[in-house]
Amino acid sequence: MAVTRPRRRFDPVWPAAFAALVCAAPLLAVAALAVFGPWTDYMAHLIATRLPAYLGHTALVTVIAAGLAALIGAPLAWLVARYAFPGRGVFEWLLALPLAMPAYAAAYAWYDLTQAFGPLGGYVPTVRGPVGAGIIFAVTLYPYVYLLAREAFAGQSADAYDAARTLGESPRGAFLRAALPLARPAIAAGLALVVMESLADYGAVVHLGAPTLSVGLIRAWAGEGAVADAARLAMILVAIAFILFALERSQRARARQSAASGKRRPPRRVRLSGMGAALAIAACAAPVLLGLIIPMARLGARALNAPLARDLMDSAQNSLFLAGVSGLVAAALGLAAAYALRSKRKRAVFAARLAGLGYAVPGSVAALGVLGLFGVLQGWLDTAWTAVFGSVFPALLTGSVLALIFAYQSRFAAAAISPAESALARVTPNLDMASRTLGAGPGETAWRVHRPLISSGALLAGLLVFVEVLKELPATMILRPFNFETLAVTAHNYASDERLGEAAAPALLIALIALPPMIWIAKRITRGEARTEVTK
Amino acid sequence: MKPGALNDRKLAVEGAVVSFAPGRPAVDGADLGLTCGRITALLGPSGSGKSTLLRAIAGLERLDAGSVRFEGRIWSGDGVHLEPENRRCGVVFQDYALFPHLTALDNVAFGLRAMNRHNKREAAMARLEAVELAHRARAYPHELSGGEQQRVALARALAPGPDVMLLDEPFSGLDRRLRGDLRETTADALKASEAATLIVTHDAEEALALADSIALMSQGRIIQHGAPDALYLKPNCLAAARLLGPVEAFDAAVSGGHADTPLGAVEAEGFENRAPVQVLVRPEGVRVARADAAGALADIVSRRAAAGYAKLVCRLETGREVEARASLADPLRPGDAVRLSLDPHFASVVAG
Repeated sequence: MAVTRPRRRFDPVWPAAFAALVCAAPLLAVAALAVFGPWTDYMAHLIATRLPAYLGHTALVTVIAAGLAALIGAPLAWLVARYAFPGRGVFEWLLALPLAMPAYAAAYAWYDLTQAFGPLGGYVPTVRGPVGAGIIFAVTLYPYVYLLAREAFAGQSADAYDAARTLGESPRGAFLRAALPLARPAIAAGLALVVMESLADYGAVVHLGAPTLSVGLIRAWAGEGAVADAARLAMILVAIAFILFALERSQRARARQSAASGKRRPPRRVRLSGMGAALAIAACAAPVLLGLIIPMARLGARALNAPLARDLMDSAQNSLFLAGVSGLVAAALGLAAAYALRSKRKRAVFAARLAGLGYAVPGSVAALGVLGLFGVLQGWLDTAWTAVFGSVFPALLTGSVLALIFAYQSRFAAAAISPAESALARVTPNLDMASRTLGAGPGETAWRVHRPLISSGALLAGLLVFVEVLKELPATMILRPFNFETLAVTAHNYASDERLGEAAAPALLIALIALPPMIWIAKRITRGEARTEVTK
Repeated sequence: MKPGALNDRKLAVEGAVVSFAPGRPAVDGADLGLTCGRITALLGPSGSGKSTLLRAIAGLERLDAGSVRFEGRIWSGDGVHLEPENRRCGVVFQDYALFPHLTALDNVAFGLRAMNRHNKREAAMARLEAVELAHRARAYPHELSGGEQQRVALARALAPGPDVMLLDEPFSGLDRRLRGDLRETTADALKASEAATLIVTHDAEEALALADSIALMSQGRIIQHGAPDALYLKPNCLAAARLLGPVEAFDAAVSGGHADTPLGAVEAEGFENRAPVQVLVRPEGVRVARADAAGALADIVSRRAAAGYAKLVCRLETGREVEARASLADPLRPGDAVRLSLDPHFASVVAG
């Protein structure tokens, strides 16, 4: 008997496969380069000299970043989710804003403040070295832990906590034994993001003198021209990232199980007053001050007292253009992948999951891969062109804006998948069917039901990528066309010349541009939870 | 059930088959007739294919065989599949499927066509008033209670004036007391619409309370369809009997036009001599009398108060336990000896 099912008009396999290709191809190219590329004695030299330091710094920086981010993010998430105090509603989203501050910009500001001749010099230890870099990552990246943990705490039923209390636990014991274990997968997911961003960073660790593997990779490529050796370093980096990625995925699988149990009673917040409220406010204000306000103020002060960077407006335009286009493309790719996941068809789901892996690929690795791929492609074009026209083919691919956008997608499109996925999850099959039985055809259903339900999720995905691309440094450095400056590159170039005054304006500008979308993102993420609380 | 007089507006499902995987159809040759202005309950255990049949009528599933016709026009079958938007079928989904981005009023207005904005609002408002929700018109679905959501879903499905109304477990998400109130509102609104209505449920009480007729579904087929009291008193098989309430089944062989049970004989018309049969007896059909009366001797094993009666479990001398009912005022206690006999009105004989 033939099994006929209603036909889908839109086959999501192809766009998802395209997204998967975009995300996976650079990584595969790097792997190929690492395996088949020529061996030079630079690698042997590196192993004998600086590689141990790179590895040591990488380990120390990420461990400190993760540990501190957990200590800042998780308790604040609990405070905001379960207690009521003046300003709680504002802190709820304010606590996420340090994500608008690039880690390297915070590093410039804090190093400048705490160095021997800085305003805080002598009062606090200078922020530098692996410990300093770890601290910088913690105060700029803790929002990942905070946001995910807050969602877990706010979403978890009060019953688990109450049950622990009736079984004889103190509030602290109930937090540690009932609430915290339930939120552990979310915290782990947040920490994985913190670590991956720390691994991918280039600007902060260079500025603070704690070169990690990322730095080694870029030095191998830029300093020695040893592309294959850079690819080998990249593979170490990717291996670390993938182990983390796998750990996080397994935690997330468990999170899904624990969320699917019975009715949920939203928790009532405990009211704090007097001393308690003051402490809560101070605890919430501290990380925002450290990660965002103080660095912005310092950068602002330096920018005002220094000559303006050359071509600042051009850099800003280029940054906005790259971030805007990347956001749009990523939103489209994320939506395609989300439709693929929704279709539940094996090949489509596989492609979408493959695209999701991109998020474990550091920017410098993605850039290296794109460089390799486009180099090969350019070589073929050159040969063909010369054979036909007898002249040299214009350098179209390598060092083009296209290459940059390609690399950004392979790293960040993955970040657009899950917002698109959760937006699409709101469109249950029954909504389609309700619309159809009410007389709306497939096209009308897409316009009147899907579009309004998906659009803000797609916007969220696009803006997340917009902010990330705006802050991105290593991939941009590797792939940007000649004389094509972005804010991040300009800031970095001045900072590495010890001209912090000129570096301050572009760095501050990045934070200022990233801030409005970040505020919108933070408000939406935190409010979105409040809404589901009512519906569930 | 054969299609009745031609002047009645009817929906007819004949031999409907829907398969999701080869070999195990979810709906396996179901026949069902619905009449405009009447409410039919589709009752069956979960997994019996009720919802799939409902979705096939709405055009949300394609038939692999059989047909769905309305007033003689083919909706599904013979290579035809009329798209759901062209069927004039109102559906109330189990989770209501309200559009989360639209207010209650806009949800109700969604299916209204060929009207200007003003008329749409008026018409949608009138529908909301009919389900006593005019004051919630501007609320979004997540701000409505479960009962309010159900009524908005009902108003939305009724608004375009459908010929057929299909409700999939419309009360399953609601608490018991609310269900009783909503049942009446729903039944009134459905009657007023004069649509041919099908309500899918697994709750026998709900089916009996709401429906003009009940169709019993089991393993993808309609096993019996008729008036509620007729189905309760004269089920045509054990599975059908169990769907509507507790029943005792006694295996017997027909002799001399009668089937013998431990509680007495019942007439077995239409069965041949020695044919194996089952005698199905509702608990109300087991008469309980003092030990000095006539009937089968039994001991009371347990007694529990239920809603409006006392539920007794009695053990016959053979060791078989039988459920019976008594007045709550009756002083019978566990351990008492009683005599049990049959009330033939509550007993039926089916092929064994």
